[in-house]
Amino acid sequence: MLRSPLFWLLVPTLLLGATAPWWLGAYYLGIFTTAYYFGVFSMSWDLLFGYAGEVNFGPTFLIGLGAYGAGLLNNAGWPIPLCLAGGSIIAVIGGVALALPALRLRGPYFGLITLVAVLLLIDCIVIFAGVTGGEIGMMVPDVLSISATVNYWYAFGFLVVCGTILFILSRSSLGLILQATGQDRIEAAALGFNVTKHKLAAFCISALFSGLAGGMLVFYQGTASVDTVVDLSITVQIIIAVVFGGRRTILGGVLGSIFLILFDELLRPLGQLNTFVVSGIALLVVLLLPDGVLGYVLRPRASR
Amino acid sequence: MSATTPPLLTVNGLTKRFGGLVAVKDIGFRIRPGEILGLIGPNGSGKSTVMKLVMGIEKPNAGTIELDGTDIAGWPTHRIARHGVGIVFQHSRPLHRQTVLENIKLALLPDSLFKLAAEPHVEKRARAIAERVGLADVIDRRPATLPFADLRRLEMAKALARNPKVVLVDEPFAGLTAAEVATFSALIDGFRNEGRAVLLVDHNVKSVAALVDRVLAMYLGEHIAEGSADEVMSNETVRRVYIGGAIETHPRKDLDQRGGESLLDVRDLEVFYGKAQALQKVSIHVRAGEFVSVVGLNGAGKTTLFNAISGLVPYTGEIRWDGAALAGRTPASIARGGIVQCPETRELFGTMSVRENLDLGGQHLPPAERDRQLAWLLELFPILKARAGQAAGTLSGGEQQMLAIARALMMQPRLLILDEPTLGLAPVILEQLSKALARLRETTPITVLLGEQNVTFALPHADRVYVVEHARVVWEGDPGRFAAEMGTGYL
Amino acid sequence: MLALQILIDGFAISALYGLGAIGFTLMFGVCGVLNLAHGGIMVIAGIIGWWAAANYGAGPYGGAAIGVLAGLVAAYVTYFAIIRPVQRSRAIPKEEEEIFVLTATLLWGIMLQVGLDYLFSNNPVTMRSMIPGVISLAGVRTPRNEILIAVVCWVVIGLLTLLVNRTRLGKQLLAASINPRALTLLGFELSRIYMVVWTIYGLLAGLAGVLLASFIGVSSANAGALTASAFTIVILGGLGSVPGSLIAAYVVGYAETITAYLIAPTLRPIPALLILVVVLYLRPQGLLGRR
Repeated sequence: MLRSPLFWLLVPTLLLGATAPWWLGAYYLGIFTTAYYFGVFSMSWDLLFGYAGEVNFGPTFLIGLGAYGAGLLNNAGWPIPLCLAGGSIIAVIGGVALALPALRLRGPYFGLITLVAVLLLIDCIVIFAGVTGGEIGMMVPDVLSISATVNYWYAFGFLVVCGTILFILSRSSLGLILQATGQDRIEAAALGFNVTKHKLAAFCISALFSGLAGGMLVFYQGTASVDTVVDLSITVQIIIAVVFGGRRTILGGVLGSIFLILFDELLRPLGQLNTFVVSGIALLVVLLLPDGVLGYVLRPRASR
Repeated sequence: MSATTPPLLTVNGLTKRFGGLVAVKDIGFRIRPGEILGLIGPNGSGKSTVMKLVMGIEKPNAGTIELDGTDIAGWPTHRIARHGVGIVFQHSRPLHRQTVLENIKLALLPDSLFKLAAEPHVEKRARAIAERVGLADVIDRRPATLPFADLRRLEMAKALARNPKVVLVDEPFAGLTAAEVATFSALIDGFRNEGRAVLLVDHNVKSVAALVDRVLAMYLGEHIAEGSADEVMSNETVRRVYIGGAIETHPRKDLDQRGGESLLDVRDLEVFYGKAQALQKVSIHVRAGEFVSVVGLNGAGKTTLFNAISGLVPYTGEIRWDGAALAGRTPASIARGGIVQCPETRELFGTMSVRENLDLGGQHLPPAERDRQLAWLLELFPILKARAGQAAGTLSGGEQQMLAIARALMMQPRLLILDEPTLGLAPVILEQLSKALARLRETTPITVLLGEQNVTFALPHADRVYVVEHARVVWEGDPGRFAAEMGTGYL
Repeated sequence: MLALQILIDGFAISALYGLGAIGFTLMFGVCGVLNLAHGGIMVIAGIIGWWAAANYGAGPYGGAAIGVLAGLVAAYVTYFAIIRPVQRSRAIPKEEEEIFVLTATLLWGIMLQVGLDYLFSNNPVTMRSMIPGVISLAGVRTPRNEILIAVVCWVVIGLLTLLVNRTRLGKQLLAASINPRALTLLGFELSRIYMVVWTIYGLLAGLAGVLLASFIGVSSANAGALTASAFTIVILGGLGSVPGSLIAAYVVGYAETITAYLIAPTLRPIPALLILVVVLYLRPQGLLGRR
């Protein structure tokens, strides 16, 4: 463990993150808070893409179900913890309903059906505007906190807990089997592993964490809207964060999310061009460092 | 193991169709514990499909596969694996980010979602297996840093980890050196003593002869012979499939006098696929107007040699064409330069018509020239005239082969490379094909480089012969001397 | 009356959808590239065409020509700066090329959209009609421009069909989509074939963008939706099938028009998605897909 470069990267990063409220202003704390929730989205997506080898274009279907589920339950008078639990259960159920038939499809078709699921969810939200608030969004009566510092703690704690669980899962027996199924499903099956069962499990885990993070984001922002939790631009951001940070690293997605959101903010003086520059940098990383930033740092050295 | 022991694996009436093609037809065999059966056949004979059917990777259309009395035909692969069948794939795809030890541990894990960490005995077993297959020294390395033979050992280790009752091994010795073949043979022999039933799938009897108890030979999806390795090797049908009938030769003596400069000159060619060496210091040359045959069993390196000449695979060494090096030219520019390959896979445009396929071959010619060439080819292969409007994919195997040759000839090649034209064709078709080649040789000044496993097909037309074995040229000379010097040792 | 209105309006919008999608499907069929910057390229053509016509007196036809040219240039840049580096990179394993092409074109599409937004704002722009005026078709008042657009679309689609099925170049494209390796062995350079496809693609996307700008107007904010609609149509029709894409374009175009007229304009995109879901489950290769 002490020899791992990841360990030496992680310790100072965690220290910086944990002490941030003492040296960062409320404005930047808010930015990091959002970035941390996106970090959980990205890690969940990487579990499916980097490990199970399935390109899911519909992470926001799962996030949106969790977010709107939690929001609707809150509007029905449930307390926040129950709403979060309810929202993530809804996300898992929706995820299974989507994945069971979709996993029969191979290659790009799996991605496409998940993409369509998102578009349908957006349309449903718009059609049932009476309940969901439609394009304007849905307010929730309760919020986690009104203090930027407390909200930061919630997000940081949530990120650390989710990151630890997902990282351990990825390094566990399950992660090993998932990688085998993602790399070559025939060989994995010939080793006696039920490929569909394991991929479905990965989808459920991804749905659980995505839905939970979606719910948390709603209770941080006080609203749920298509733009903040379902829109395809969120999917794009998640995919870019993972590829930028390094696919198959789980933690790379967090790095990518922080980069995307922080730089978008820092480059605000450029006006509308900030997104142009951030996308350009991400594009360069994709073209020049296909293993991503963290993947590059952690790449196995020639001898070992 | 006595002959009365009940068989561990009993296969009966196994049949598999892909669309209209019957890949496997009514195949049956038994393997007792501690017995090694060799399943052999040339490319396209259906032997690999049989292996996939046993493993559940393909579902049979008919037949039973009984493992210890249970019919497992049609089960999903993972259930068959759990029931006691293991497979050693030819091409390994290990987990690249994990060490050798972790790769072996993977194979030892239960099919469970709720086991986060492997049980302690798993580590010990993984180490024991690594020790047994000879990976103990590299156990902490990553697969990418291992030599080819160690990657094969790793595949072997993964199959062993399941403690299978039946082990399927696909081309056990492909790409290995003689010393490595010996260690792998010893490993597979070890399965026998442990009472496992082993199925070795390979192209030819020769490579597995020392190891197997019995051999079953397949051709075009059908069972053609069964018995001891010697019996199968001397079996009339098997010899006809691999060698053909009696060998005839008609070298053109006047050619030697013409002699002179080589049109194609290949020197010290070496090709690697990843870590496996596919060609080792291969040198051949072809003079203008010559008909040169390269014979060798499937997997010997013929196709690799041709692909290197056509610029399709990277190589070291030198290939000179008409006095100039070919290195750095694109495959298309080599083809336009006069070296046209008709590959063993035929590579037709399946949904386009016969005529459209031919027209594409002739697009580089001026119109008048093109029409003349087309007329000549339709005369050489009359069947193509009758099928002109039909989609190429719907032709029979023999017709497809003729179309592939005709399409290559539409380019008016200076050197025609024919790779394994007899692949998967019935004997009667071979005769037609052979006549067409004979006419081609007699009526045109064309230079041909023919790669063949079927010696009887390859020799009658040849002016000179090379024999390729295990990535090397092992013999070169006159076709007349082939029968005397190579005839018996070839199979 | 209403039925006729739907018939006419649906016909024109479907023809435009078809034109936008066939370049996309040709690209996938021959080059195996799903270009997610597709909408961005269409919008560039529309906006540049409008800008040249409105500010530099290029006139509607000159503007259209400049717009199409802009689409072509954008397509070339996409190929040389994005697609080729991904395909030639040694660090990207072949089996992951697809996701890298998707990610890279996605990012490139965002850059195009944001760049246009910065230079031209995201207000929708509408090009002046190429032929002004309105005529009555069986009692339905229809702008002449709408008829012109439908005609231009079908003429171009017809020309492309002729090119693919009747010319030597077309046969090469067809052959490349079936078996690129065989084409190499017959002495055709694939890199040249790919250049031809990107040229055709750029011209088609450019023309579709210009016609769209002259029909209902474009803005940089449309880029994503245009990509999504081309994607939907191409999947529905079967990846790589040109006739399939045309049928799908009409299915989607009429489904949208009927919904907009008879049910509610806000529900416009729903039926196409529902059809897509059903088709993907029952026939994942699409209406006329190969596989």
